[in-house]
Amino acid sequence: MSLEVTDMILEDLKRELIGRRVSRREDLESLVKNSLKRSLREILKKNYNETDLIRLIRDSNKPFIIIFFGVNGVGKTTTIAKFAWMLKRNGFSVIIAAADTFRAAAQEQLALHASKLDVPLVKGKYGGDPASVAYDAIQSAKSRRVDVVLIDTAGRMHTDKNLTEELKRVVKVAKPNMKILVLDSLAGQDALEQATYFEKIVGYDMVILTKVDADSKGGIVLSLAYKLNKPVGYVGIGQDYESLVKFDPEWFAERLLS
Amino acid sequence: MLEGIRDAVRKFLGGTTSYDVAVDEFIKDLQKALISSDVQVKLVFSLTNKIKERLKKESPPTSLERREWFIKIVYDELSSLFGGDKEPEVNPGSLPYVIMLVGVQGTGKTTTAGKLAYFYKKRGYKVALVGADVYRPAALEQLMQLGKQIGVPVYGEPGEKDAVGIAKRGVEKLLSEKYELIIVDTAGRHGYGEEAKLLEEMKEIYESVKPNEVILVIDASLGQKAYDLAKRFHEASKVGSIIITKMDGTAKGGGALSAVVATGAPIKFIGTGEKIDELEVFNPKRFVARVLGMGDVEAIIEKI
Ligand SMILES: Nc1nc2c(ncn2[C@@H]2O[C@H](COP(=O)(O)OP(=O)(O)OP(=O)(O)O)[C@@H](O)[C@H]2O)c(=O)[nH]1
Ligand SMILES: Nc1nc2c(ncn2[C@@H]2O[C@H](COP(=O)(O)OP(=O)(O)OP(=O)(O)O)[C@@H](O)[C@H]2O)c(=O)[nH]1
Ligand SMILES: [Mg+2]
Ligand SMILES: [Mg+2]
Repeated sequence: MSLEVTDMILEDLKRELIGRRVSRREDLESLVKNSLKRSLREILKKNYNETDLIRLIRDSNKPFIIIFFGVNGVGKTTTIAKFAWMLKRNGFSVIIAAADTFRAAAQEQLALHASKLDVPLVKGKYGGDPASVAYDAIQSAKSRRVDVVLIDTAGRMHTDKNLTEELKRVVKVAKPNMKILVLDSLAGQDALEQATYFEKIVGYDMVILTKVDADSKGGIVLSLAYKLNKPVGYVGIGQDYESLVKFDPEWFAERLLS
Repeated sequence: MLEGIRDAVRKFLGGTTSYDVAVDEFIKDLQKALISSDVQVKLVFSLTNKIKERLKKESPPTSLERREWFIKIVYDELSSLFGGDKEPEVNPGSLPYVIMLVGVQGTGKTTTAGKLAYFYKKRGYKVALVGADVYRPAALEQLMQLGKQIGVPVYGEPGEKDAVGIAKRGVEKLLSEKYELIIVDTAGRHGYGEEAKLLEEMKEIYESVKPNEVILVIDASLGQKAYDLAKRFHEASKVGSIIITKMDGTAKGGGALSAVVATGAPIKFIGTGEKIDELEVFNPKRFVARVLGMGDVEAIIEKI
């Protein structure tokens, strides 16, 4: 947790607790715990957005286009597979664009997911232009009246100029309805730097935090929920398709204190 | 984030406040910078306590000013955390040599397996790879594409679900074919909760393959969880060395420092990009000097 957020929680606690009279020990404990929970909940709710993505898609023009990006290895491709599964369960038809034309077996990885999920996939050629893969997928969605297009992109570091330009181009061509930044919850303070970078180059509407199953205390979640001015929409809690859950501040506050 | 340390060094060396006040301030700045670089809090305090103790016990040599001497102590203590003066020995101590790569999901194990194979192939070793990740879709395909790119054979059993069996048969077969350096890629895992089974599987691979060296692959952006994670891995299969990947990003590897302490294993390589040749032998001195502000520190070291 960042120092800033820690300080804030401590301030909250001090404000609530100093000068309060407590008669018995148990009272003190529950008093502190409740104050802490309130403070955590407030932080987690700061940028929380009630809008339901499923409802949003239902109410929007089709195809609804979602692009996923983030640094290397955070879980973009897996999250897309989970998303496709969730959307199908909600009655939407889905097409996936494999616009990572760089990493070894990125195409095959997504192809296996697509065939398991029984979802059409538009592939690219290694070394090919990712923007044109996205474009083809959108055209195909339009002609086949598919509801949602999910665009996978290659992992990229905030220090790589070429890849930065490339992502800008994909976004420009795809004109997504929603841009999702995927962050690894095991990352430390660097997650904030990543967020700042992606905000600067293309902007994003929602964060998905992956690998939360590795850290029940949520590690960086609190800092992110507080410091990013964007909602955390979903969290990944495992490697299988069902392991994507809607982010719920109440649930998370409980989890942090358990 | 670690830039904070560099600024603190500069402020300290150029400051005009009294020495004792400056030392206190510096130590606070150092603690803040390390904590916000994801170095484990406990570790930060033990480091700064050590520095304070040395300040009390030792006195500066005549060649150095007091402030310079202090920075030298900070440099020493940080360097010794990262493996001291020497560059790590990366050549295998005996042949044949079996390396097993382990780590959390997505840290860069498979990519690093390819990079290591390429590194050792260039040094003249007869190298082969084993793909023992049976979970991630196209994990074997990924390793095969890397192997093909560098002309290194890959052992794998498409469709087979028994990672322990694959690893064992792969290493046996490659040994019988007189390969000198065999690198086993394994699936990503963290081992908490539902994944306890996966940690068990890793242990079984370790016990049946009996690798000469287990390398823990860590992502430079890894946060406060680094210590715990590294410890779990170390307990399941003794970690011999560490590779930090993605050093080309903005993260500076503070979490990795915690992993070094948790395992007692040295950092051997760093990954500096996605391409097959973007792997460097780790240099602890250079790393720490970079953390502290290269020019300032080198000037001090030269005076001794
Ligand atoms: N435990 C756990 N593992 C996850 C989760 N999300 C993704 N992973 C794993 O993380 C690893 C990397 O996932 P990918 O989806 O390939 O990541 P990526 O961001 O697409 O990676 P690049 O395309 O190479 O940048 C895989 O082993 C996934 O199974 C999660 O929520 N929990
Ligand atoms: N920028 C950068 N990317 C890297 C580096 N090392 C690996 N990567 C990228 O990180 C991502 C994950 O790499 P993998 O090799 O698939 O990771 P893994 O640990 O094998 O993943 P799992 O098998 O799913 O656990 C890929 O996009 C790699 O290209 C590095 O040093 N720098
Ligand atoms: Mg991917
Ligand atoms: Mg792998």
